[in-house]
Amino acid sequence: MSPKTKKRLAAVIWYTIGIVCFLVMLFPLFWMISCSLREETYIFSTPPHFLPPKFTLAAYVKQLQTEQFPVLPSLKNSMIIALATTVIAGVFGTLASYGLARFRVKGAGIIIMLFLISQMLPQTFSLIPCFVIFKNIGVFNTYWAPILGCCTAAIPFSVIMLRSYFMSIPKEVDDAALIDGCNHLQSFVRIMIPIVSSGIVVSLVFSFLQGYGDMMYSLTYVADSAKWPITTGIYNVVGRYGLEWNRAMAFGFIAVLPVIVIFLLMEKYIVEGLAAGAVKG
Amino acid sequence: MGYAFVAPALAFMIFFVAYPIIYNLIMSLQLVDVTTLTKPDKEFIGLTNYINIFTQSTPMNYLWNSFAKTMIYTVECIVFQFTIGFFFAIVYTQKAKKLKGISGLLLLSYILPASVCSILFKFMFWTNGGIINELLKACGLINAPVEWLTTPNNAMWSVVIANIWNGIPFNMILIVSGLVTISNDVYESATIDGANAWQQFTKITVPLLKPAIKMVLVLGFIYTFKCFELIYAMTSGGPTSGTELMTIYAYRRAFMEFNFSEGAAISNILLVILMIVGFLYTKMIKKDEVA
Repeated sequence: MSPKTKKRLAAVIWYTIGIVCFLVMLFPLFWMISCSLREETYIFSTPPHFLPPKFTLAAYVKQLQTEQFPVLPSLKNSMIIALATTVIAGVFGTLASYGLARFRVKGAGIIIMLFLISQMLPQTFSLIPCFVIFKNIGVFNTYWAPILGCCTAAIPFSVIMLRSYFMSIPKEVDDAALIDGCNHLQSFVRIMIPIVSSGIVVSLVFSFLQGYGDMMYSLTYVADSAKWPITTGIYNVVGRYGLEWNRAMAFGFIAVLPVIVIFLLMEKYIVEGLAAGAVKG
Repeated sequence: MGYAFVAPALAFMIFFVAYPIIYNLIMSLQLVDVTTLTKPDKEFIGLTNYINIFTQSTPMNYLWNSFAKTMIYTVECIVFQFTIGFFFAIVYTQKAKKLKGISGLLLLSYILPASVCSILFKFMFWTNGGIINELLKACGLINAPVEWLTTPNNAMWSVVIANIWNGIPFNMILIVSGLVTISNDVYESATIDGANAWQQFTKITVPLLKPAIKMVLVLGFIYTFKCFELIYAMTSGGPTSGTELMTIYAYRRAFMEFNFSEGAAISNILLVILMIVGFLYTKMIKKDEVA
């Protein structure tokens, strides 16, 4: 074999491997969609049908009409929790990371340590003491319980990630703004925020995903299922009561849809956040 | 001036993170169950909760069981996630570069909400007619369906596989971000010097990626060790505590059996383990920076 054909053969093999791995990784998602678009009778068939033998949206229609757990209101709850988490973590995180990166703050080491430790905290860890704390401050059984819970993960992530963005801006930029007559707040809002905007987008996307993906805070702190996000609803309806699988998959796909949309719009930022060592759940 | 910027986040963290950490410690020394939960004065019982956790023995010591399960889970997940993630990184950045664009789609498995991920895998691992058993049967690997979620050992593999699927992109991206810093010239001159692909991998890629590899392994360890929602939604720790990791054990004691103080004690033990790993990690980073 000549070196050239050898090289071409190697390329063919690597591309085949690349495509096979890609298909295997995406198979679970494909399978979810495929099963959501068929009749229950075709779910468990031997041999399995990879594509729906008879295409139907019946599972979606049924699931959207069910009174057992109304899907669309729960999607609204998810959005409320996710957006509130995003806003709070975005504002608090941006301010704090700027403060820590730009000023000499006494005890900065300890403060940063606190943020780092909280990234390591298991969710179960905060679930137990916050159960009592949330009861005492009266946020039990409200949207605030999952929002505050999700913020305990989203704020530290935003601070730690954005701090490195702010530190990469030369101090001269800041000084120049101050000389031109800006005060610290003006220079922060008009100069610094635009420069780190891509970092802020990363932190917002991850805070949103954190808030949207959470199921445990609502399950533990919110007794009223009318306030549950779609993630908690899925766990409860499918996990505890059982559901026809085509409807379960339709339910799942409805829940995943916002995540897919965000992913397609924000892929670049998600990769960036991941490379920065992003945390999840 | 700096304080004004830091204050809101810091106040939040003190109230909802630092205070809970301390409160957890206090709770673990008290008797907190359903009857005493809302009482302002709870009885201090010293180390009784910890002693109970360590000595409890029927039908098994759940602390020891959950620690062993957590270690098994973490090691199995990390080994596969890391190896596959590393392999994918090489494939999509060095060997099949034109696929790099579509390989971004793989990140979807990482950002999927854990509860959706878990019902999806529960469905795929279904014993009678689930797609995984059907595919294994079609390949002639098994004759009778495997009871994935209903026997302890298989259930462990099921949650491990679900988590591997979920975690591969994380490993892949961190390795990719290291790989792109290695210049192509290094590989070209190695090829001229007659190094084969394997030698290039072991002598160039791995040594140059050492910082990235360390980071992936330690962060991966911490994130996997504290894994919770995915497993809870898939198996709730069962069957017969076969997938009961420490996080799930703590949750069960606190929220299903309403012994909040024992739950607090278990999660304190868990935190100590994570802190030791985290401490070693920060020390390791500092050593790297000095060297």
